[in-house]
Amino acid sequence: MTSTDVRIKAHPDPSEPPRPRSSWHARANAVVLAWLALTAVAVAVGGSFGLPRWLLIHLFLLGAVTNAIVTWSEQFATTLGRLPEPGRRRTAARLAALNAGVAAVVLGVVLGRPVVAVCGTATVVGVVAWHTWQLLARARRALPGRFGYVVHWYACAGVALVAGGTLGGLLVSERVPNAWDPRLEAAHAHANLLGWIGLTVIGTLFTLWPTVLRTRIVDGVAGLARWALALAGPGLALAVAALAAGFRWGAVAGLLLYAAAVALTLVPFVRTARRKRPSTAPAWTLAASVCWFAVAVTADLYLVATTPPDGVADAVEPLVPLVLAGFVGQVLLGSLTFLLPVVLGGGPAALKRTAALLEKGWTVRLAAVNAAVPLVALPVPTWLAHTAWAVLLAELAVFVALASTAVLNARGHRIAPSPAVAGTALGSVLTALAVVVAVSGPGLPFGAGAVEANGETRTVDVALGAMTIDPGVVEVEAGTELVLRVTNEDTQQHDLRMGNGAHTPTLGPGESATLEVGVVTASMEGWCTLMGHRAMGMVMNVEVTGSDAVADGAEDDSGHAGHEAHPGTDSAASSDLSGEMGPDWRPYDAELAPAPGGTEHEVEIRASETEQEVAPGVTQAVWTFNGSVPGPVLRGKVGDVFTVTFVNDGTMGHGIDFHAGALAPDEPMRTIQPGERLTYRFRAERAGAWLYHCSTMPMLLHMGNGMYGAVIIDPPDLEPVDHEYVLVQGEVYLGEPGSQEQVDAMRDGEPDAWAFNGTASGYDHAPLTAKAGDRVRVWLVAAGPASGTSFHVVGAQFDTVYKEGAYLLRPDDPGGAQALDLAPAQGGFVETVFPEAGTYPFVDHDFRHGENGAHGVFEIEE
Amino acid sequence: MTLWTLVRFLHVLSAMLWVGGQLTVSLIVLPLARRRLDAEQRGAVLTAIGKRFGQFTVAFFLPVQLGTGIALAWHKGVTWASLAEPGYGRILAAKLLLFCAVMVVSALHGAASTRGRPRFARAMAVTGLVASVGVVLLATALPAT
Repeated sequence: MTSTDVRIKAHPDPSEPPRPRSSWHARANAVVLAWLALTAVAVAVGGSFGLPRWLLIHLFLLGAVTNAIVTWSEQFATTLGRLPEPGRRRTAARLAALNAGVAAVVLGVVLGRPVVAVCGTATVVGVVAWHTWQLLARARRALPGRFGYVVHWYACAGVALVAGGTLGGLLVSERVPNAWDPRLEAAHAHANLLGWIGLTVIGTLFTLWPTVLRTRIVDGVAGLARWALALAGPGLALAVAALAAGFRWGAVAGLLLYAAAVALTLVPFVRTARRKRPSTAPAWTLAASVCWFAVAVTADLYLVATTPPDGVADAVEPLVPLVLAGFVGQVLLGSLTFLLPVVLGGGPAALKRTAALLEKGWTVRLAAVNAAVPLVALPVPTWLAHTAWAVLLAELAVFVALASTAVLNARGHRIAPSPAVAGTALGSVLTALAVVVAVSGPGLPFGAGAVEANGETRTVDVALGAMTIDPGVVEVEAGTELVLRVTNEDTQQHDLRMGNGAHTPTLGPGESATLEVGVVTASMEGWCTLMGHRAMGMVMNVEVTGSDAVADGAEDDSGHAGHEAHPGTDSAASSDLSGEMGPDWRPYDAELAPAPGGTEHEVEIRASETEQEVAPGVTQAVWTFNGSVPGPVLRGKVGDVFTVTFVNDGTMGHGIDFHAGALAPDEPMRTIQPGERLTYRFRAERAGAWLYHCSTMPMLLHMGNGMYGAVIIDPPDLEPVDHEYVLVQGEVYLGEPGSQEQVDAMRDGEPDAWAFNGTASGYDHAPLTAKAGDRVRVWLVAAGPASGTSFHVVGAQFDTVYKEGAYLLRPDDPGGAQALDLAPAQGGFVETVFPEAGTYPFVDHDFRHGENGAHGVFEIEE
Repeated sequence: MTLWTLVRFLHVLSAMLWVGGQLTVSLIVLPLARRRLDAEQRGAVLTAIGKRFGQFTVAFFLPVQLGTGIALAWHKGVTWASLAEPGYGRILAAKLLLFCAVMVVSALHGAASTRGRPRFARAMAVTGLVASVGVVLLATALPAT
């Protein structure tokens, strides 16, 4: 096909009266321009007023882009698929309904009216479903054409929007559990960005790209397009379903298929470009956008593969501006730059004039935009990101201005709308914009509140520190609008959530956010939602003063983690340690294997949260290294190098700290977030029984919930013995991890029980064994977090005691030892030879511990 | 009843005259003029009305509106920073922006009228009218204190 086939929309002769179809398209494009202008205004206003990101994204994607897709996909499908002409009236009605739906979604969400938003979503989904069905129905009636595959791409895109839009509707309905939100959001974004927009763009580019380059379509495109769609469609469906279900590898597989399809479609794209080098503004803009799309798809695939399902929505968030500006924005602007002159028509001279107008300064604009795009996605300094946004905004404004001028110029010799209608429309748009500005942020005049806003606003600076929030109390008069400028001054992540649901994003060290709490009508609490931080004291109170203060009561937030038992957590006291262990319980293997050969040890340790039977019949949620309390025992010789890959499979930040290595803690001991990993490499320069533990604050909480383990580095002269055991003594705190009760117990140093190797009285039920006359070595590490130990074996004497790197007693010394005392985080070993067969209990001889779980037995046989 | 009641009364009265006057001209005077007057007369009358309205705007409406408006804002303790804060400040900011837009549109209307571009002038007049009703809407949204 030649380029003229697509350009049949142009007016061949200026003397001909303007055709209504072209004018209709000009009007439809004016709608797109109007939404683009709204987006530009919203971005500009958002800079100083903090409009929510949601609004910007949806003004652009749902307003401008969806309108453009519905209008143009129909036009292309009709032209290329040789479909019968659509009914003009129906098309207009559909576009009107679409825009009403979009307006309802935007207003419903901005004004906090979920019902309106859901109705809007349903309208948009319905319109697109209708549009898709019409395309397919008309395609069935049409003669088979060479470009029929385009319709299939559009149909798949339409199906994607129906799915993605429905997910969006669920999200704005506020009727699904909050816990589902991250997954639904991820599925929603993928369906709409990769499906509705991505598939439409790819389907269009098969023919639009050669047309823009004014060259022929390369051979074999039709077959390739069908193949690619056969990969992309099911791939995307799988990815969206798996993201919604939280099935990571399904999502990765689906996205791989999708990425393969994108790669396949790049083949004719590149071949066409090589045949005819791009030289015009639309060609370069489209080429740039396709590059960003490829970047975005690749980055998305990586992020989905490396992030737990619930974190995907947050993880891909930085990609959204990149997709918006780099891909969607440039596709839209590039296509409009090419198509607007064609649509506006007016003869070859006018076409050239319009094109020249739209392409004014395009090289500079294109370079600026593509330099700015990565800056809005990457973590760059704020001023740089703001500059980048300003550049993008300027380009959008310039384009809207140029395109509007072009449309108005073209209108000069057409029937212009009546001044009254134009004036009313413009006035309404101005008013609507002002209203949007006025009601942005919580505490709106439309949001019904029991207490009238008194018009006062208080702004308070709030600092998040190490387990503190400063100030702890903020006093405001009832009806005051409260704004908190929150800064994280700590070295780890925090956030702030208020009792009324307003919250900041998770803030890294040094980051700030403005939290609009809204009109305060009653006292409320604010706290950090990171695990355990609230219980450790990261709490603040907003207290209402003044005579008309409403008595508090309703604000006691049900999300308080501390007062409900964790499912599967038996909160029964530890009184009955003589009971039987559950049938599924397996003792932690205390038998210590000799140090493996070699001087390099590679270990993978994964942090995760699970459950464990911590005392007979008592199952408790625990935080673990490699799924057990204590974590795996590492053993080596002096001088050995340990390379530990530490992976966080949990749902909160964790870190790791090996006492056996000496190094700067800054990097290896840093807290990593779920899904992240780090490498911790240390040389064991000195012998000892070393503790390792989670390095994330509050460490009391992380260690109290089980995140500790032992590293055994043999002294150089260590003799082999008949049996070697390792016991890590720790404490058991029952209850919901991180709850106020549990944290209080930890702070008071009042565990529910003590345990050797994670289970109170565990080795009463699974005795350690040896034979009479055997030499037995017991390695001990006191993990605490609160208490040490005084390790004693009833009926035995130690002839060897090695504590904290030194022998206190050797076999040939005349003396003996009865107990090994260790403060928290100390370690060592004892050796004894059992004189005869029998049952020898081993205890922490501090009997507050010994009779409360720090107890086990040696079964010594003949 | 304090001095500030009087200031607010002046502010509302002046706005009422301006917006109400425009509405009266657009909804009552114009349709009647179209029906009852021939083209020449109509042009002369409407031009005269427009001129008089422009004079009223510059000589009375703007000074009173700006003077009382600034005074009321000062009385209420509005600062530049507070304009950005959600609630009262932001509604006021939106109202001021919309008011500026109305003034720009009115100026365009005046310029278009004198340069003989009646269609554009008419469009600007309607835009200004609709947006000034928007200003009134935002004014009523400001919590009264």
